[in-house]
Amino acid sequence: MLALEFPPLNEILRWRDLFPTFNKVAMIAVAAALIGSLIFLIAARQDGSKAPKGIRNFAEMLVEFVENQIIMPAMGRSGMGWTPFLLTLFIFIYLCNLPGIVPVLYMPATARMAIPLFLAVVVWLVYVGVGLKHQGLGYFGHMIAPPGVPAALYPLIGPIEILSNLIIRPFSLAVRLFANMLAGHILLVTFSLLTEELVFEGDNIVFRILGVLPFVMLILMTVFEVLVGFLQAYIFTILAAVYIGSSAHPEH
Amino acid sequence: MLTAVVTRGATGFDVAFVPQADGGAGDMTYEESLDFCEFPFEEAEFADQYEATGYPCEEGPSPILPEAKELLWGGGSFVVFLVLMRFFLYPKLRKGMDARYAKVEDGLEQADAARAAARAEVTEYEAALATVRAEAAERVDAARATLAGERETRLAEVNAEIAAQREAAMAESRAAREAAEADVRSAVTDVTSKVLELAIGRAPAEQVDAAVADVMNSEVRS
Amino acid sequence: MEALSILAQVAEPADFGPIGAGIGYGLAAIGPGIGIGYIVGKSVEAMARQPESAGMVRTTMFLGVAFTEAIALIGFVVAMLVQ
Repeated sequence: MLALEFPPLNEILRWRDLFPTFNKVAMIAVAAALIGSLIFLIAARQDGSKAPKGIRNFAEMLVEFVENQIIMPAMGRSGMGWTPFLLTLFIFIYLCNLPGIVPVLYMPATARMAIPLFLAVVVWLVYVGVGLKHQGLGYFGHMIAPPGVPAALYPLIGPIEILSNLIIRPFSLAVRLFANMLAGHILLVTFSLLTEELVFEGDNIVFRILGVLPFVMLILMTVFEVLVGFLQAYIFTILAAVYIGSSAHPEH
Repeated sequence: MLTAVVTRGATGFDVAFVPQADGGAGDMTYEESLDFCEFPFEEAEFADQYEATGYPCEEGPSPILPEAKELLWGGGSFVVFLVLMRFFLYPKLRKGMDARYAKVEDGLEQADAARAAARAEVTEYEAALATVRAEAAERVDAARATLAGERETRLAEVNAEIAAQREAAMAESRAAREAAEADVRSAVTDVTSKVLELAIGRAPAEQVDAAVADVMNSEVRS
Repeated sequence: MEALSILAQVAEPADFGPIGAGIGYGLAAIGPGIGIGYIVGKSVEAMARQPESAGMVRTTMFLGVAFTEAIALIGFVVAMLVQ
C-alpha cells in the first residue's frame, strides 16, 4: 500500500546534539565562519603584488563583487568603508545557505530562525547606530517628519515611517531569508520523499516509473536552490547596504 | 489524538473518548521510538512530553522560533568571523590589492607619460620637418631667383656684346668705305691732275681737286 | 465497557488547521505573484529598451522582487504558525 507520510516539521528541522548545545545548525555556522576565514587567511598570505592566482583571485573577486554589485548601486563611492562588514555578511549567509544542497548535510543553517534573526538584529543595530552618528537625534526627527512631505501628513506618515524603519525592516530582512531557505528545504524534502516512496516503496511498476517525475523535479529544485541561496545572500547584503546608506545620507 | 469508542451499554450507546497514541507508538519505550524518529531534539527536555504523546518528534516548539543555542553558536561564529575580517584578513588583502592597483596605475601613468613624450617628439619632428621644408623651399626660390637674375644679366651682356660687335662692324665697314672713297678720290684726282698736266703742261690747280670731289660726291654717291 | 464489544470507532473530527493554513498561504501568494510578474516583466522591457542600463535595472529589480516576495513569505510563516 502506497502511503506518503510527511514527517512533522520539527523532524526535518531540528537536529540531535552532537555534543551539548552543539547541533548541526551550529556546526554549519561554525564551519561557514571557519571556511570564510580560511579563504581570506590563505588569500592574505599570498603575495599581493603579483597577478592574483587561485584562492587569492577568488577572494579578490568576492571583494570586487561586493564593491561593484552591492556597494556601488546601493551606497555609492562613500560606502566603500563598509566593504568588510558587507563582505562578511555576504560570505557568511552564502556559506550558511549552501549546505541546503550539499549532500550529507542537506540543511541550510538559515532555515532556522536563529541566524537570520541574529544577522537582522546586527544590521538593525548598525544602521540605527549609523543614523544616530550621522544625524544625531535628527535621525528620528526625519522619520517622524520626513522632509518634502506636507506638514498635514506628518501624523499619517510619521508612525508608518517609524514602524517601517525600526520594526518592519529588520523583521522582513530576517523573515525573507529564513522563509526562503525553509521553503526551499521543505520543497527538497517533499520531492525526495515522493521519489523515495514511488521508486523504492512502490509495489507497482507504474509507480516506479512515475517516480522519475519527482526525481527530475528534485534535480531542478536543487539547481534552483543554488540560485536562491546566492540570491538571498545577495539581497540580504544589498538591503543591509541600502539601509545603512539611507541612514548615513537621508536625502537619498 | 482522541478516539471515540462507541459501546453498547445498558441504556443504549455509550460514547467515550479515549486518548490513543498515533503511529502505533503507544507501547514503545522512548529509546525504541528513537528509531522512528531520525533526528529527535533534546532527549531529556522532552522525555516527559514523550510520556504523554508517545512520539518524541511530534511535539516541540514551533519550528519558526529561534533556538537559544543556535542563536549563540551562529551569532558567535558570525561575530568572530566579522572581527577577523574587519581587523586582520580584509586589511591585509586590501593592502596587497591597493599596492598592485597602485603599481598598475603607475604603469598606466608611465605609459601615458611615454605616449605624451612620443607625441611631443612627433610634433617636434614635424615642426623641424616643416622648417626644413620651408628653408628648402626658400633656398629653391632663392636659387631660382638668382638663376633668373643671372640669365637676365647674361642675356643683357650678350645683347650688349652683340650690339657692340654690330656697332664695331658697322664702324669698320664705314671706315673701309670711307677709306675706299678717299682712295678712289685721290686716285681720280691723281689721274685727272696727270691727265691735265699732260694736257696743259702745268700742275693742276686747286679747282681740279674741288671738281673731282664734287663729281665724286654727286656721281659716286648716286 | 471492558466487557462490551466495541461497535464503532470514530476518530475525532478532522483538524482543519492545515487546510486553513494552506488556503491562507494560497491567498497570500496571489498578490505577490502578480507583483513579481509585473516587476520582472517591466524590468525586461526596460532592459530591452536600454541594454546599457541593464545592470542598474537588474539590481533594482532584485530589490523590488525582494520587497514583494517578503509579503508572500510572511504568509508562508503565518501558515506555519497557525497550522
